[in-house]
Amino acid sequence: MREIVSDQFPNNSVDDEPIKVHIDDTTLRDGEQTAGVVFASEEKVRIARMLDQIGVYQIESGIPIMGGAEKEAVRQIAAQDLNCSVLAWNRAVTSDIDASLECGVDAVAISMSASDIHIDHKLKQSREWVLESVKKAVLYAKERNVYVSVNAEDASRADMEFLLSFARTARDAGADRLRFCDTLGILDPFNAFMKVKTVMDATGMDIEMHTHNDFGMATANAIAGIKAGARFVNTTVNGLGERAGNTALEELAMALYYLENIDVELDTGKFRELSEYVAQASSRPIPAWKPIVGANLFVYENEKRAAAVLRDPENYEIFPPESVGLQRRFILGKYSGTSVLKMKLADLDLELTEEEAAVLGGHVRSRSVALKRSLFDEELLDLYREEIGMVRDEVNQLLSEGRDVVADGVVDSLADLSEVSDDS
Amino acid sequence: MIHRSGGIGPHREGKAKPFESHFRGRKGEVCIVDTTLRDGEQTAGVVFATREKVRIARLISEVGVREMEVGTPWLCPEEREAITEICALGLESRTLAFCQAEPSEIELAAETGVDAVVISAGVSEIHLRKRYVKGREWVLDKVRAAAEAAKDKDLPFIVSAEDASRANVDFLLSYVVLAEELGADRFRFCDSLSVLDPFTSFQVVQTVLGATDLDVEVHCHNDFGMATANSLAGIRAGAKFVTVSVNGIGERTGNAPLEEVVMALKHLDQVDLGITTRNFRELSEYVARASSRAIPVWKAIVGTNVFAHESGIHADGVLKNPLTYEVFSPDEVGLARQLVVGKHSGSRTIQHKFREFGIDLSDKEANQVLLEARQMSVDFKRSLFDKELMYIYQDFIQRDERRKEVDKVGVMDEDDD
Repeated sequence: MREIVSDQFPNNSVDDEPIKVHIDDTTLRDGEQTAGVVFASEEKVRIARMLDQIGVYQIESGIPIMGGAEKEAVRQIAAQDLNCSVLAWNRAVTSDIDASLECGVDAVAISMSASDIHIDHKLKQSREWVLESVKKAVLYAKERNVYVSVNAEDASRADMEFLLSFARTARDAGADRLRFCDTLGILDPFNAFMKVKTVMDATGMDIEMHTHNDFGMATANAIAGIKAGARFVNTTVNGLGERAGNTALEELAMALYYLENIDVELDTGKFRELSEYVAQASSRPIPAWKPIVGANLFVYENEKRAAAVLRDPENYEIFPPESVGLQRRFILGKYSGTSVLKMKLADLDLELTEEEAAVLGGHVRSRSVALKRSLFDEELLDLYREEIGMVRDEVNQLLSEGRDVVADGVVDSLADLSEVSDDS
Repeated sequence: MIHRSGGIGPHREGKAKPFESHFRGRKGEVCIVDTTLRDGEQTAGVVFATREKVRIARLISEVGVREMEVGTPWLCPEEREAITEICALGLESRTLAFCQAEPSEIELAAETGVDAVVISAGVSEIHLRKRYVKGREWVLDKVRAAAEAAKDKDLPFIVSAEDASRANVDFLLSYVVLAEELGADRFRFCDSLSVLDPFTSFQVVQTVLGATDLDVEVHCHNDFGMATANSLAGIRAGAKFVTVSVNGIGERTGNAPLEEVVMALKHLDQVDLGITTRNFRELSEYVARASSRAIPVWKAIVGTNVFAHESGIHADGVLKNPLTYEVFSPDEVGLARQLVVGKHSGSRTIQHKFREFGIDLSDKEANQVLLEARQMSVDFKRSLFDKELMYIYQDFIQRDERRKEVDKVGVMDEDDD
């Protein structure tokens, strides 16, 4: 047997201070920038208030230079007397910053591409021009006493040497933090860690992670950045955002708490409500299987799972449904056995013997296969009324043949749950 | 509010752990194991008809996936018939049946004609104490008995450790060692409750590989949105097999999606498995229909929105060079690029759209159409259809014509445009 190598891994020294991570939510900016999504101004204000109540550190409220309703919405949000900071998005252009300041925000994000592919093909400019633009814009904003985040767009594809010059230019002009944008979602967590650590070590700047989900790794990459030392994260509710979206607020907050021991101190019990509101306002329904807030997450059909959860939710749950505003439910379908069946019928004061439950369970599974879906509680009651006579005949028949009905009915064959008493 | 017990995942006690380590990658040949028909169907509320299962099996085999888990034989006679039918197709892909560590389940599987069985048991202390209410030896005995049953039937078997990520490490390793002694084909490591992050995933897979010569398969769930990242981390640590499902369907939040894992391996890790990725959208659509779970438009890799560009900056970039905002070309996964006109659009998109309609707009005209299009998008709370753009244009032209007429007779005095 080879040597076990686990001691190479992060069992490092424990920090004295708990890590403080700041959430900067961009549902209203990158979220709305999603093709096809438009929020009404009232919706924007409502979402801002909900985010503030949940306790985010900062809200990226919009792009004032667009003018019209967009600028007015930012102005209204800034005037809401929220606890959180209100930030507006800008290109590295003074007119953009003026528009933001007119709205009364306390922070600006100044965005500029950092990758050669963007500089050459999109901007059709030189690296020098990029640095000069960043410097001018940051100096301009800092003279006006606002918090400045410099967004290095497409940073994950940037040449590292140039990215460092970019970061130093921003820092020396007085920027408060650097937003590291994985604009195309091409990082994996290991690269994210290395790149962010490199920038932090070289510049000493505060870093904000801005990750996209094109390969399904936005949350993991944001967490990798935090492990490397980033202390700000750009999120969106439901992961709304360009293309496949951004890091989802709810995934990041719960993963930080339950997997990384970092408490972002949010009122997570309001997550489902917030997600529902944003889903409606963006006309993008929450998939039933969406991590953290999907309606299906605490729904149990499979007999082994259901029996284990009825015994103790810790068997299959890392956090309780209430902690994100959801509820636990049990349903009957193709994968059901007797546990949920007996529980549901007992709620209706209908008691079944083990044998009856085993046989009726077979009928439930067949019905579900025929309907190609799980059964409603009313359908279970109908099934019971229609078939309980038949079920009892079947049980008697099987018993008279000397069959072990419960075992043949394929209840949980790995563990005989019926013989188990409560355990502490 | 905390539910946590000892395991490989980080502990609640104490402070956050900073991370410093070198993760030497071991990227090599990877075998995709698709479980759409097993873990996918196990999703609460999802049931496939037998004909759908057969179709899905064919489609998965056609894209070039080498192994698939086709079902759970103990469930019911309908399930066994479906498995038997799939096995009789003689597909290129190897077929697996999923069994709990119970000889009777292995015997049912043997009758279906599958190529191999998965022998699964929960190995975490929580499952032992609270689900089985048994000791560690009891689980090992169960696996031994099931393995013997498989050998009796000449069935290769994979030993799977459910809830392995919350298991006691020593016990997990003795479980792995037993699997190797019993002659298992490989070992499946299940992060059943998604308690891993990519760094802990790498760590545990490396630890397991240090204790056995068996190949390791990583099976990750998506409860915190990290199934794909955790799977790739396991592969980086040396796992040669990875469980996936189409669209990521599976228990609760689902499994690592086939399309994400394959495309990430190809474009981020430069590991091309020779999968026919241009069939992905079609495959995803079929599974979405059969499972009654529509593909969200923003679904990574196969969502219709992932190649839709609205924002002026992005659309302008893509028009100049798609590489500015796209990593791979849409036809590589069976999608198409779209430019969407809405609140965030810029004038270049408008000009491009109208060129497609055969109309050249000047910068000034494009700006005027843009202003109205943006306003309309705000009013309607959505992006605009191509038809609507044409309506704006016609209104604008008519207004312009009318104004020219009026100007000619000099009645109207306009001081702006």
